[in-house]
Amino acid sequence: MVRHLKLAAVSAVALFAAQAAGARDLVIAGWGGNYQDAQRDAYFQPFATEKGIKFTETTYLGGLAEVKTMADTGDVTWDLVIVEGADLQVGCDEGLFEEIDWDAVPLKDQLVKDAIQPCGVGNVVIGTGLAYNKDTIGEAPANLGDFFNTEKWPGKRAMRTGPKFNLELALMADGVKPEEIYTVMNTPEGIDRAFAKLDTIKKDLQFWDAGAQPVEWLAANNVVMTFSYNARITAAKREGKPLEFLWVNPIYSIDAWAIPANSPNKELAFEFLNYANDAARQAEFSKKMPYGPTNIETPALMSPEDAAELPAGKNIETGLFFSDAFWIDHNDAISERWNNWVTQ
Amino acid sequence: MQKAPSTLLAAITLLVLPVAVYIALYLLPLISIGGLSVDNGALSTRFPALSAHFSDSAEVDDPAAAALLSDLQAMAKKDRAEVGRMFNQELGGMRSLIIDTGNEADEIVPTVAGLTAFDPRWGDPAIWDVVRRNVEPITWRHFQKATGVKPGADGGYSIAPGDDIYLRILLRTFVIGLQVTLLTLLIGYPLAYAVATGSSRVQAIVLMAVLLSFWTSILVRTTAWVVLLQTNGLLNGFLIWLNLITEPLQLIFNRFGTVVAMTHVLLPFAILPMINVMRTIPPAQAQASRSLGAGPIETFLRVYFPQSLRGVAVGGGTVFILALGFYVTPALTGGPGDQMLSYYIADFVRKGLNWGMASVLSLLLLVCVVGLLVTGALLRRAFGWNKAAKPEAEAA
Repeated sequence: MVRHLKLAAVSAVALFAAQAAGARDLVIAGWGGNYQDAQRDAYFQPFATEKGIKFTETTYLGGLAEVKTMADTGDVTWDLVIVEGADLQVGCDEGLFEEIDWDAVPLKDQLVKDAIQPCGVGNVVIGTGLAYNKDTIGEAPANLGDFFNTEKWPGKRAMRTGPKFNLELALMADGVKPEEIYTVMNTPEGIDRAFAKLDTIKKDLQFWDAGAQPVEWLAANNVVMTFSYNARITAAKREGKPLEFLWVNPIYSIDAWAIPANSPNKELAFEFLNYANDAARQAEFSKKMPYGPTNIETPALMSPEDAAELPAGKNIETGLFFSDAFWIDHNDAISERWNNWVTQ
Repeated sequence: MQKAPSTLLAAITLLVLPVAVYIALYLLPLISIGGLSVDNGALSTRFPALSAHFSDSAEVDDPAAAALLSDLQAMAKKDRAEVGRMFNQELGGMRSLIIDTGNEADEIVPTVAGLTAFDPRWGDPAIWDVVRRNVEPITWRHFQKATGVKPGADGGYSIAPGDDIYLRILLRTFVIGLQVTLLTLLIGYPLAYAVATGSSRVQAIVLMAVLLSFWTSILVRTTAWVVLLQTNGLLNGFLIWLNLITEPLQLIFNRFGTVVAMTHVLLPFAILPMINVMRTIPPAQAQASRSLGAGPIETFLRVYFPQSLRGVAVGGGTVFILALGFYVTPALTGGPGDQMLSYYIADFVRKGLNWGMASVLSLLLLVCVVGLLVTGALLRRAFGWNKAAKPEAEAA
């Protein structure tokens, strides 16, 4: 009996040890949905084929909880993650991400300057703005103010959960010019004004967590309008859904690839960053998922029709560049007020 | 013969071991959550000089400024960022203040005037209040934030209107839990009765339906309700086809959708215990009651129902406690006013990286549940409810 137990114990230990010691696949965390599908086709799969490696994907929903846990426990289970700018900077300052050696990045000169971050490589320019279902909406909305017009367009409206993006969009709907948004938001009166604007449609609001949700809700007519990411809407449009994205006062921001600190595959992950900077790869991605490229040579490789869908050029002439710095300082206080406002 | 006691001892140890491991595995996370809710080590250990200063006097003077600067100088860059982020949870803007001050600490004159000259915010007593409160090893700030109770200047405590947000959410969590429990019991009781007393075919059909949904993932069942209840969903389509309504009803993203989906998800947890208890009630009792002249309603109310209450209590209790921890179903079928406490716990962990607040909210929920269970047990003992069925049985 005892001998059997010993045998079982030894083999169990051996099994765990083998698992720990064996090099694991490259693990990539993305935002799911058609965004990640396009990344798989444009980056993950061809990269893996070229290098002769295997990769595993997982879903990431924002924030730093997972990466912080990996750093605290030393069990780093992700090698690459695509994060928003504010999380990138906070994580970088706290040592949760590997620092990028920019001298070793061959395509550095082709990247827009906002893509060059101490711990991350900006890869995807994302537009956030008003979207609607053109089959059921009747008259199409013409500006952000129409999102708040419940007389003409009655029904539920959706926006991302939490205050980010929503306060900016509410203020622009209220007539604040894009270039003045963060000056206004830096004052308590500015924040009051944004909440007052949101108050006018509060009873009709529905919040989403994942970028795929507003697309489904629009298509199923659960909401009459939504704030959404541009490419999710365009991708759905190409699948035959009657959705439209309004290029008036959109907010644009950059998602960046980052490597969780002490990833066992960090050399490989670093090679992936270089791979993702390539203009041809980015064109491939933007064709499938019309988010903007960070390589300035990418648009030349795309057809004019495809390029017209991107958060770039005249599409973002009335746009606002999202301020990570503002939200890093104010997210806690404003989120608390937001939660309070939502529950009241 | 001599070996017997030691073998017995070994056997007992082996038998007790799993229980001990189980209890430890249950208690350890609880203890660590309790610790996280008040632990301030991440801040206090990084401000040794300032902490020592403030333990002598609460004065914001030049030694305090010098202590702050020396502590910031001694910190690694990433520690300053973490410290700044934690301060920022209390007062917006403190993260950049701490990081900037730390980066330039060598250049700043170590006096209050020097700090204020570097950044005028250091002249603000509110900033220093946050720093003073947070260099101690134990913090109550998460508890204060969770309950809204704040210490006043006069030593008393007060709740500012609007600050009791998490208490309101807790109340909402309990209200939804109760609504769901009542509905599952109302729907589940007749079904359980059908299984316990019906023909074998009825039993098989009902039990199969209950178990099938029990074995299906919560996510799938919740999504199914989204499909059924949404604006162009099956239910609205059916009602419009029947000409009962002309415009689709808002059946989802509100309390109705939440309660319907949660009731469906939790129904098996109410039905299965009720079936078990009802099966132990001998049918002969009902026959005896009828033969003694009681009508079917009286027989049910005085003979059957009191004996089935134990199953109702177990089923209802299970459903209620499970409902309190629900997260996915309200998130997918509810509106902003239907999110339960777990939603905010997840939000703090995921978006805020604020494990202190998440721990306090979890503890709040746990304490309320334990409180309810204890109250229930005490009431039962006081009123002798657990013997309630007995006199009725005797009467039968």
